[in-house]
Amino acid sequence: MIQTIAGSEKFAYRPSSRAEILKKVPAKLRLHSVDRQQVAELDPLTYEVIRHRLWAITEEMGEAIKRMSGSVVVTDCNDFDCAVMDELGDEVQVGLYNAQLCASMDMAVKWTLENRATNPGIAEGDMFLCNDPWVGGGLHQNDASLFAPFFWEGELLGWTCAVAHQVDVGGVSPGSWTPRSENVFWESLPTPPIKLVERYQLRSDIEDAFLRRSRMPKLLALDLRAMMGANNVAQERLTVLIRKYSAAIVKAVMYRVMDDAEERLRAKLRSLPDGTWHSVSYQDQAKSGDRGLYKVVLAMTKRGDRLIFDFHGTDPQVVGMINCTYAGMRAGVLAIVMMWLCGDIPWAPGGIERCLEFISEDGTLNNCNFPSGISKASVGSTWATHNVAIECIAAMLDMHPTHRENAMSICTGTWDLILLSGVDQHDNGFVTMLCDPMAGGLGARTDQDGVDTGGGPCIPMGRAADVEMNEFQFPILYLWRREEVDSGGPGRFRGGLGASSCFMIHDSSLRSMGLVVSSSGKAVPLACGASGGYPANTSYDVAVRNSKMRQLLGGRRWPRELEELGGAFDHLPPECDTQIGWDDVYYTNWQGGGGYGDPLLRDPERVAWDVAERKVSREAARNLYGTALDDRGQVAADATLELRRQLLMRRAGSPAKPPRAARAAEPGWSRIDDNVVTDADGRWCCAHCGTALGDSGRSNLDGALIRRGHPSEAGPQIRGEPHRFVDQHIIFRQSCCPGCYVALLTEIVPEDETQYRTKTLSPPQESGAAAAVRKG
Amino acid sequence: MQFILGIDIGGTFTDAFATDEQARVASAKAPSTPDDYARGVIDAIDELAARLQISTESLLRSTSYICHGTTASLNSLVTGTGATVGFMTTCGHGDSIVIMNGEGRYAGLGPEQIQDFTRTNKPPPLVRKRLVKEIDERVDYKGAELLPLNEEVTRAAVKELIDEGVAAIAVSLLWSFRNPSHENRIRDLIHEVAPDLYVSLSSEVCPRIREYPRSVTTIMNGQVGPALRAYLRSLEAELKRREFGGVLLIMQGSGGTISADTAPRQAISTIGSVLVGGVVGSVNLGESLGHKNIISTDMGGTTFLVGMVVDGKPVTATTTIINQYTLNLPMVRVAAIGSGGGAIAWIDQGGNLKVGPRSAGAAPGPACYGTGGTEPTITDADLVLGILNPDFFLGGRKQLRRDLSEQVIRDKIATPLKMSVEAAAATIYSIANAQASDLVRKVVVSAGYDPRDFALYSFGGAGPVHCAGYAADLGVASVVVPLGSTAAAFSAFGLAASNVGLTAEVSRPQNFPVPAEVVNRTFEELETRLRADLEEQRIPFSRVTMAREIDIRYTLQLAEVSTPVKSDKLSEDDIHGISDSFEELYTKLYGKGTGYREAGLQFITYRVYAVGYLPFKPALPALPKASHAVESAIKGRRRAFLDMTAGWTETTVYDYEKLTFGHEINGPAIVEAPTTTVAVPPRAAAIIDRFGNLVLQFK
Repeated sequence: MIQTIAGSEKFAYRPSSRAEILKKVPAKLRLHSVDRQQVAELDPLTYEVIRHRLWAITEEMGEAIKRMSGSVVVTDCNDFDCAVMDELGDEVQVGLYNAQLCASMDMAVKWTLENRATNPGIAEGDMFLCNDPWVGGGLHQNDASLFAPFFWEGELLGWTCAVAHQVDVGGVSPGSWTPRSENVFWESLPTPPIKLVERYQLRSDIEDAFLRRSRMPKLLALDLRAMMGANNVAQERLTVLIRKYSAAIVKAVMYRVMDDAEERLRAKLRSLPDGTWHSVSYQDQAKSGDRGLYKVVLAMTKRGDRLIFDFHGTDPQVVGMINCTYAGMRAGVLAIVMMWLCGDIPWAPGGIERCLEFISEDGTLNNCNFPSGISKASVGSTWATHNVAIECIAAMLDMHPTHRENAMSICTGTWDLILLSGVDQHDNGFVTMLCDPMAGGLGARTDQDGVDTGGGPCIPMGRAADVEMNEFQFPILYLWRREEVDSGGPGRFRGGLGASSCFMIHDSSLRSMGLVVSSSGKAVPLACGASGGYPANTSYDVAVRNSKMRQLLGGRRWPRELEELGGAFDHLPPECDTQIGWDDVYYTNWQGGGGYGDPLLRDPERVAWDVAERKVSREAARNLYGTALDDRGQVAADATLELRRQLLMRRAGSPAKPPRAARAAEPGWSRIDDNVVTDADGRWCCAHCGTALGDSGRSNLDGALIRRGHPSEAGPQIRGEPHRFVDQHIIFRQSCCPGCYVALLTEIVPEDETQYRTKTLSPPQESGAAAAVRKG
Repeated sequence: MQFILGIDIGGTFTDAFATDEQARVASAKAPSTPDDYARGVIDAIDELAARLQISTESLLRSTSYICHGTTASLNSLVTGTGATVGFMTTCGHGDSIVIMNGEGRYAGLGPEQIQDFTRTNKPPPLVRKRLVKEIDERVDYKGAELLPLNEEVTRAAVKELIDEGVAAIAVSLLWSFRNPSHENRIRDLIHEVAPDLYVSLSSEVCPRIREYPRSVTTIMNGQVGPALRAYLRSLEAELKRREFGGVLLIMQGSGGTISADTAPRQAISTIGSVLVGGVVGSVNLGESLGHKNIISTDMGGTTFLVGMVVDGKPVTATTTIINQYTLNLPMVRVAAIGSGGGAIAWIDQGGNLKVGPRSAGAAPGPACYGTGGTEPTITDADLVLGILNPDFFLGGRKQLRRDLSEQVIRDKIATPLKMSVEAAAATIYSIANAQASDLVRKVVVSAGYDPRDFALYSFGGAGPVHCAGYAADLGVASVVVPLGSTAAAFSAFGLAASNVGLTAEVSRPQNFPVPAEVVNRTFEELETRLRADLEEQRIPFSRVTMAREIDIRYTLQLAEVSTPVKSDKLSEDDIHGISDSFEELYTKLYGKGTGYREAGLQFITYRVYAVGYLPFKPALPALPKASHAVESAIKGRRRAFLDMTAGWTETTVYDYEKLTFGHEINGPAIVEAPTTTVAVPPRAAAIIDRFGNLVLQFK
């Protein structure tokens, strides 16, 4: 049980409306603003030229941070962001870096306007530092943000902000997130907004107070300067822009960029049907030694041009490091709204968020109170929030004839942390996070496969370092780095593959190195499929203890599989802190993307290609895709038909009627997803055989045939035994059409779990479901 | 009489340019012949000879060098029609080329495409899995052998690849640049069974750390190598038959040439030669005009390209991206956006006017071509604005239809935005200029320079129409539109008289301070190799220069900075001097106080650039000083829109052919040349220099 601490309420921020902020800002802080008329009068040329330049400014800020930073988390993983905001902290343009962070930068600025304008004041040449995720400015303490007011002729015209993941900001473990965390006092202490730069001068007393906590103060100091540099670049460019066009015009463009983003998102939402989509995401273990399984639950309702995210049913906050604050929950949603719904809409979160509403209880996993542990927040409960948001948003998009193409299943169920420490080949101490899991698998889409080893859900541009660069810098020797066959969620369109790295210690005088592993998704895979598609792989980390790898060196054969290494398998739990010894080999397999649609409906020729390209094994081709291949890898058409029929019959259990034949679509059918339509009477029907599945005001799965089994039913990508890590009994559960047995939903869930992943459509008028959701 | 020829094989036309020491010049054009490019080359040479009023044989007899650039290799990579290559690599790492470090999904895409995350994809695989062979062998970061090469496995793999019918085998093993013995042995084993098979070794093609781009470079080298070898053999035979006794040189992406005999081994270095033609042309023209710092801008039909020349040398990058694959290849740095004359203006869902990056290309082309284009392009806007003359586009070779331009601009832009057609065209024109200006600024500033220290050269069909618009904001020192003798074939002119340039590099990653002895030995090895390579070119160079550099980085930083190093034997003090130069450069690029010095420095890659100067100095013909008044060049007046502040003005139109050295024109004016049209807005002036170039000045 975590007690709330009196006095912490001040920092438990919820972004206020513009009117509320205005009330709290003292008169001495003059705010620059323009009226609607000036926005309306902008001509298309001026708008487009200035808009383009504002975007160029955030790009320049990003470049500045990347070049100055000394941290691979920034330079390779792109775990940072930057923004140009208006006078009240609404984001006009953000960079294409970590989209999560947009949901926190504005909060920190708004909090600062409400709480710092009187004392110590907000003035020209100031910059505020913040790493308090309850306030905003980041999702966990590693995210340090630095934001600067921009004044023009004495008026506060806007803000610029940079935020970047810092390698170490203190706390009990190197790297500042620790599997041992009980609560925030085990972690780095949050710092609410403090004036680090005053009247263009860096205050060294304030800086020292912040650096003192870190194991790498010089690196932290460098990154602070990188963010200062980014703000300086942005403010110089804004000055030039205003000199050319005037403050009023630049401000009018800022407002209009946000209005434009809002209007376009609203228009897109209006084109989609109303309804409610439900989803759930699990995290196994909150800290080392824990055996719990924790869920984030979402009911997303779309009504008219609004999206309402209701997190009722989410588990309470937990002892450990996986919680996230309100900013983390907001980030979990906003990042996905931007990446899934705003591919063609300006990234102006200040406008986008006007279409969104959040309903959540305080004290829950993704809206936790101080002092819950949050050091893993961004890839803990925030990531789980991504997963539920993706499922709901993708399902909604799937109903639209063209927006369907942006419906992507869950990507890379979570971040698989690999933190190494020890003595390197030059006899220097080192601590590093390996970025290999940046090559995660992206989810399948409604018209094509997911991207193999292509990234993650919230960072458009991440990269993994070359093996040679890692071997040069750190005392490790790779046995391999490869895509893992079958790791993508099977489906009519296959999820992108995840990959694995396998290495040993090499050339270190210490002959041992520290390893922190942190990755949920070992008992329950996190990248589940959509529309009957199967989940991607579980995370899988193994330390092969006392292997014979060293004896194999100098021989004739390089090992391809862990089984060739001898030794004993130590299955590393989701949250653990261990050592890799001289004869140990470490293997880590991070997650791919979820599948889309029933794999038994996949074009057999695509399966054959996948087998040839080693994306899918022959066994999986047979058992999951029902595709028979001959000796040359060509599709055996008749055998495939028969195999698919048998696999469908198996789903039905025995004895069962043969699957109903496919039939042509009827007039009045309207597509819901790959398998389900609504008919003219508003009933759910199977899109393949026409079997009625129930009323569309109720769950789409009410009429489904449910089959249960061992998680390995989902395929060879489900590795490891859940009972190693959690107490709850985990099963495979598949909801099928009772007529033709096509899979409508394929899950791995706790045995006693109720059905979360459902859809209901609202009647055209006032939606009862949404009204209920409103009330909470 | 000694000629030198430049030949530029483009997608549509093959351009040729001839010059000699007496400043005799000629240019010619022939359609490119993709089924056998050699034919188009010969056609262009025939045409050149005709212009010079001599026979092809006598032209070729008196030609010392032919330097040519080709887009063929690049095209085959982009379209995936290169040779089928087998790939052999270290066991456990065959997937490196499909994992692509995760960055292959977005590398090289524009920000709009990257933002559309759910629609991004990796390119098709470079090599199908059955042609990827993992070999049991291992070398570590020091070059120490941990597992010997398993020759039995190797032989079996080679046999399988040959049975599959591969045209080349690419071999890229981990750490081969530290210890190439396994790669060398694999080549021997391949040649035992297939002596003629094209073999591409990563330790030779690009001995640089980072296995993903090294493998990609090695494979792509194998994909273009066999075709280049075959093509050059046939071209050389054709030329010899026409009595050519000189040296055939091939342009490389690095901006220097290489002899046709040795080019196929390093085939990959010849890609991108077409992109760099304009930059190299700028270098050559800059020598005549006394410009050492140049921003080269090329606005063609589909793209707007920006390159830079600093201190008389093209600015190069050590990596490049083709088809979303990253290559380790020193190349002239050229940035591009889809803002050529064919870029389409459109209205997004928010009702905002956008220009590009989609292009109407050559087909259907802008609406005014009357060839089926139904979307408004920049060229259509230029026509509506009165800048282009419908009866004198490309010197009258193409008739334009203003009515069609007006119609598409009205339907697609003006009516939805409730503007007049003319206002819509003016807006398209200005947005295109602003985008071009943003790109130029970004290119120059991100390389650590200030645009005010540069002259801007503008060419390509659409460049001069827009250059006043995009250059004015940048504050460049002057704007030059290369006209005169070089205008028709500026890239081909760039190729003619380019010197031979060879590069040798090797990664020896090591923490600073690196012993002077190691640095000296490494550079000596590279220079010994280069001297041998220069020897192989069989050219009597007038002189040879070598320039050394080391790619250095702060240990914890991504960015490596190529740091010049002096050419003598280095002492330990000199090594510290190198680190000082690195820090200076780093500060220049990334600002003061940047870089995490405490983490230390690393020397990563050593590189030497050799230039062999051709014993030949072509000259440009100078024009006579104007003896007639500039008014005699006036061909008319028309209403035109050249600038947002001035709006529509009565504008004087000049015939370029009647202008000569010393003529000065005050804006608003339009100059019509056979190859392009130059807009001279109000408050600008244009002066014709002694070579016939038009120099714009802003007041």
